[in-house]
Amino acid sequence: MTAKLTKLLLSASLFALAGTAATTYTAEAGTLDDILARGELRVAVQTQGPPYSFMDKAGARTGSAIQLTELMAKEMGVKVTYLDFDWDGLIPALMSGKADILAADMTATLTRATKVAFTKPWIHVGAVAFTTSGSDFKSVEDCKKPGTTIAVILGSTAEKSVPKFFPEGEMKSFKGGGTVVLDAVASGQAQCGVNDNTAVAAQVLNYPENTFTVFPDMLTAEPLAYAVRYDSQDLLTWTNLFLDTVQQDGRLKENLDYWVNSNKWQNDH
Amino acid sequence: MLGNLNIRVIADYFPALWQGFLNTLMLSGLGFAGAMILGIIACALTIQPLRWLRAPAIAYVDCIRATPLLAQLYFLYFGLPRLGILLPEIVIGIIALALNSGAYVAEIIRSGILAIPRGQFEASMSSGFTYLQRMRFIILPQAIRPTISPLIGQAIVLVKDSSLLSLISVVELARVGQQIALDRFMPVEGLAATAAGFLIIYYLLKALAGFWSRFDRVPGRS
Repeated sequence: MTAKLTKLLLSASLFALAGTAATTYTAEAGTLDDILARGELRVAVQTQGPPYSFMDKAGARTGSAIQLTELMAKEMGVKVTYLDFDWDGLIPALMSGKADILAADMTATLTRATKVAFTKPWIHVGAVAFTTSGSDFKSVEDCKKPGTTIAVILGSTAEKSVPKFFPEGEMKSFKGGGTVVLDAVASGQAQCGVNDNTAVAAQVLNYPENTFTVFPDMLTAEPLAYAVRYDSQDLLTWTNLFLDTVQQDGRLKENLDYWVNSNKWQNDH
Repeated sequence: MLGNLNIRVIADYFPALWQGFLNTLMLSGLGFAGAMILGIIACALTIQPLRWLRAPAIAYVDCIRATPLLAQLYFLYFGLPRLGILLPEIVIGIIALALNSGAYVAEIIRSGILAIPRGQFEASMSSGFTYLQRMRFIILPQAIRPTISPLIGQAIVLVKDSSLLSLISVVELARVGQQIALDRFMPVEGLAATAAGFLIIYYLLKALAGFWSRFDRVPGRS
């Protein structure tokens, strides 16, 4: 009887010890250590369309944000695993620990930063308005007419800025990538659309020529950045250093010149 | 995770949630009314003898049952404008729900009619009833009874399916939940509130089904 009890107590305390050991280990190991240990960087992305993240003609995932992330994994010495989410699923995926880092054309905003930590921006973009070619809307001012329907992406910064710029417009938010907004305008479900200038410029190329008229006026200026969890300070510091490095050695400029500031990528993808 | 549920946020969004709840009820109510009409017509066409009337009804039921509601919804929303038909998203949503559920309703009613023994048709025919009289007095009263429970089941499915309308920018319960998740980055609060709303509608319909089964006591049957 006593022997049995001792055995039981012993195994119980062993379990308790093992438990403490495990917790201490995870508490000390940072996200970066975890990534290196598993040899895999888990990246939350969205397949929103060119030029940041899309499937090219060969069916391969590519784009500016994707190539930059591959470069990051190469410098880190690990492989990349992409987790594809809808726009509104990106932050929850990061917060729940499914992904280590969020690589999308996401603007660093104060509201989002209450939940996730943003790195330094890797590019600045601005929101622009567009409409179908040949419509009655000749300028951004026309889109401000009362009752104009304006398409935006659900959860995007445009969803916040549109009521400011188009106070009398009627906003429709669509779940999905930037091309949904273009589809909504092309099909006439919305009269004007608002999205980032670089995304719009690249995505209108998917449509027949002269489908859209994009107004040149920049409505906002927005910094795009990577995001990590606040408890991943090690990864945050590393990523900031990475961004500084690629900015100084010209690799970031090379990426942006290829994908964002020109249509060169169209020849290869 | 549920331990940290922020009730304050849900309370902040209560007016929006209530509006979403009412919209979900409205969309599902109209959708189901349309589904019943479509279902009865499609069923009537599938069981009548003329082949040229039967074929389109069977094609409708097959096409709907073979494709996902999401594809039907996108077809109606992004596809129809290409054919020159531009309808507001609420109307598209109700049409999609009605078209989708209509096919299932047709099958449910058809199964109710097919379950009636052949002798009933023959007996009513030999008693001199016309086709309409046969349906009105003999067949339909017997056929409708066993279909009520599956129809309420289909209504429950339709209510849940109506959450897909959030994808074409219709504001209903699921969309308000997404909005909470996005504005405050609190997906658990948003989804929990949405789920609670759907649960309430589910229990309302379940109570209706229970009420029907108590009411529906056939003498001589348990």
